[in-house]
Amino acid sequence: MVNVVKEQKGSALVVRLSGSIEESVNFEQLIGAPAPEMNIHCKEVPRINSVGVKSWIKYFQSAQQKGSKLRFYECSTAIVEQINLISNFICGGTVESIYVPFSCTNCKSELIGQFRTEDLRKLQLKLPQLKCTKCGGSAVFDDIEEEYFAFLNR
Amino acid sequence: MGKSLILISKRPEDQAFATEVAMAAGLTLERAGDPREGAQKIASNEDIAIVLADTSDQAQYQALEAAIQETVGLFSDRINSNCFHFISSESLENVQYLIQSPIFGHYILRNYGDNIQRSGQHYGRIVKATLQDRAFGLQTLMKPGTKVQVVKLAQSSQKHDAVEAIKNYLVSAKFQSRMATVVANAVDELLMNAIFDAPVDDMGKHIYSSTPRTTLLKLEDKSAVEMHIGFDGEYVGVTAVDKYGSLDKAKLLSHISKIYTEEEYKVKTTVAGAGIGLATVFRSGGSFFFVSESRVSTEVTVFFRRTDNYREFKDQFRFISTQFYF
Repeated sequence: MVNVVKEQKGSALVVRLSGSIEESVNFEQLIGAPAPEMNIHCKEVPRINSVGVKSWIKYFQSAQQKGSKLRFYECSTAIVEQINLISNFICGGTVESIYVPFSCTNCKSELIGQFRTEDLRKLQLKLPQLKCTKCGGSAVFDDIEEEYFAFLNR
Repeated sequence: MGKSLILISKRPEDQAFATEVAMAAGLTLERAGDPREGAQKIASNEDIAIVLADTSDQAQYQALEAAIQETVGLFSDRINSNCFHFISSESLENVQYLIQSPIFGHYILRNYGDNIQRSGQHYGRIVKATLQDRAFGLQTLMKPGTKVQVVKLAQSSQKHDAVEAIKNYLVSAKFQSRMATVVANAVDELLMNAIFDAPVDDMGKHIYSSTPRTTLLKLEDKSAVEMHIGFDGEYVGVTAVDKYGSLDKAKLLSHISKIYTEEEYKVKTTVAGAGIGLATVFRSGGSFFFVSESRVSTEVTVFFRRTDNYREFKDQFRFISTQFYF
């Protein structure tokens, strides 16, 4: 079940999504009519199933067709995977920032780090190591680089 | 001498893999240098159980198809599509010649990992199950002694709870939460297909193709759906069971091999499903075993190996295995 928090910030409607996106999601009801500028925050979306993807594309494609400028922020790993798998998942919008998965080489804990896509491009995928918040060990990127960052080359 | 596994491949890694598969399945390994020799073995030996063939490129596949056609025939009593296991290093979307093959039975991505023995034994258990009269039952696909739990869904709205329960179970079984989420999503897709895509009428027409997936359906009698789950310490297997036996192989393979990384995904409003669930699961590291007996039952099992990190999880050994009975 998805929860949506909306807030008008300047000229943009900020939409914060939280929860799994499944067949029960109705973006038309939850978000309402698309605004001319929409900043969509997806940090708290842990999972999206196939019918959820379909609903997502249907809504944001319609928003794009109505002239909305879409920006996606804090994309969770689940959202990044869909961005990579489906060429039109962001419906003409831009990905401003994403969460990048890391794994501690010592205690195997999962960590995530937020990166702006602009910075990722500058880093040329040479990601810094993070310090594990649990044991202080070093955490390294934990996915397949050419797959996880594929969207940067589109 | 018992039944045989014929390996048509010159690659050492395929030979190592086939050795493990044969051992786990209780088969005698026979090697063939090329498709012609393999086809001759099939023609001359009635005890051929399965054929593992290197079909890394279209020319290799075509040579195999031609050799089979010239000897026993593509649609013979001697051997059928359930017995053919195609090995390729190419991603599924790049082997359309296999997807469209009249003898497609199984696709193995040649990514055996650093432990060929483990991959071979895992696949050997799948092969062993396919040698039975009917390859139903998760128990037969897992390591001996694996406890399998059965969950009967009484109505469609219970899918959500079943999916969450799988996720929590896997986290408690020391899967990384991201891995558990991927498996949970896979189970979500399997159950959704069993609930909404499997039901057909007497004419074979899908009853709920345009019914919203939020519709509350009672899952009883013919519409009963079960979820079976087993974890053997390495692999988790989850099966969705329905009583329709309506799985269409061509449609299934078309969906599972379709990707939208270049092409745009177009929203079809005439159907309620999305048609992208299984393809996503396979690309997330999952393997599939589909077994369907026409008008009787379908079981779709997804396997994932628990790994130390997500990179290994996503890049794990995987396959798509189909077994159809008519």
